[in-house]
Amino acid sequence: MTATAGTPVLRGRRILVAKPGLDGHDVGAKVIALALRDAGAEVIYTGLRKSPEQIARVAVEEGVDAVGLSVLSGSHRELAADTIDGLRRAGAGHVRVFVGGTIPAEDFEYLRGLGVRGIYTSAMPLEEVVASVAQALAERSP
Amino acid sequence: MSAAPRPPLDRAALGRVLTRIANAGDPAAWSGPVAPPARGARRIGLTGPPGTGKSTLVRALAAGSLAQGRRVGVIAVDPSSPYTLGAILGDRIRMGEVADHPELFFRSLASRSAHDGLADNLPGMLSAMERHDFDELLVETVGTGQADVGVRALVDCVVLVLMPESGDQIQAMKAGILEIADVLVVNKADLPGAARIAAEVKDTLRLRRSRAWEWVPPVLLASRDDADSCFALARAIDARFAWRGDADDETARRRAGTAYHAKSLLHQRIETLLGELPPETFDLPLREVHRALVTRLSADPDAVD
Repeated sequence: MTATAGTPVLRGRRILVAKPGLDGHDVGAKVIALALRDAGAEVIYTGLRKSPEQIARVAVEEGVDAVGLSVLSGSHRELAADTIDGLRRAGAGHVRVFVGGTIPAEDFEYLRGLGVRGIYTSAMPLEEVVASVAQALAERSP
Repeated sequence: MSAAPRPPLDRAALGRVLTRIANAGDPAAWSGPVAPPARGARRIGLTGPPGTGKSTLVRALAAGSLAQGRRVGVIAVDPSSPYTLGAILGDRIRMGEVADHPELFFRSLASRSAHDGLADNLPGMLSAMERHDFDELLVETVGTGQADVGVRALVDCVVLVLMPESGDQIQAMKAGILEIADVLVVNKADLPGAARIAAEVKDTLRLRRSRAWEWVPPVLLASRDDADSCFALARAIDARFAWRGDADDETARRRAGTAYHAKSLLHQRIETLLGELPPETFDLPLREVHRALVTRLSADPDAVD
């Protein structure tokens, strides 16, 4: 994978790619992590099966700008809500949250209502995911 | 054992201050926290070639210290891409369940413009961590091997991690990273050849050490699955600190740290200035390039405020 021409769109950003819940499939999470890195981001990956509390703690310690949750188990509604809640309680309410995985379209509105800034399914090209994350991070600087 | 009560670790505050220091460019980085006169925390650096198991030993050392009631901070550095500055910071995963300990704070760093195994603004980040009552700070370098010597100026005990397959690299290390180590570990000692590498390293060190009052770095064998070998490493580090108690000069150490800090900030600044010079500058004789650089460098104080 090569970087886009000019300054990489995510240069200087720190992003946590997290696997909450019980599903053990992290190929998608790793592909996204590499795409974010190639766009200039510093990417931390949690490893599998982390609780929302663990993810919030890592986000705080690592000083990330964004958390990307990869969920293939179908529990994305609860996990996104708990993670956003956990971030607020840990003093990191400013961290943007994105969700990727097998997310049915009828859940998009619910997730957006929670404050999720971007929802990505496997059908979406990586360049679009990266551009969308970059745009969401640029919208309102913390 | 530290039985004295202390304020709980303010993770959110420390996380924020580290981000601010990490991102400080010139000139803000120059006005960062001053190194305290005496270190409040034991500083231990782990360095060595890639794949030797530095992260695994960091976990073992952190787990041992946490079990003794110490508050432990870990800074682990991974390389930034020279093209995009992007990085995958993967050391945290190796911490396993130790990462959840309430008295542990773990921060992953990308090397950014640093080329010595460390990361931009690391000296300021270590000083900031000392304000949060850590007993011990562990610094894991990038692991490019021979070039990872920057850590010497910032920690009290340098642990060089090797493995049986590091044989060819020992030759190259004789004049470099081998000289800065306080404790040497041949990790993955369950693989064949470990004893031979340890003997080779000991021979090399013996040739070098001639003065009786110098610390003689021990050479240990370690393996992830052998808990005793991890205890032995922790004891060797303790011995180094006990020895240093009478023999090392706190003032000299602080000065070396500040000098390193200044050097790394200037290095960052010069990289930025080189990038800002008009390309035609590099058609001129080298002394003209130097003049252009120095002019811009000395113009800075006025440009600042």
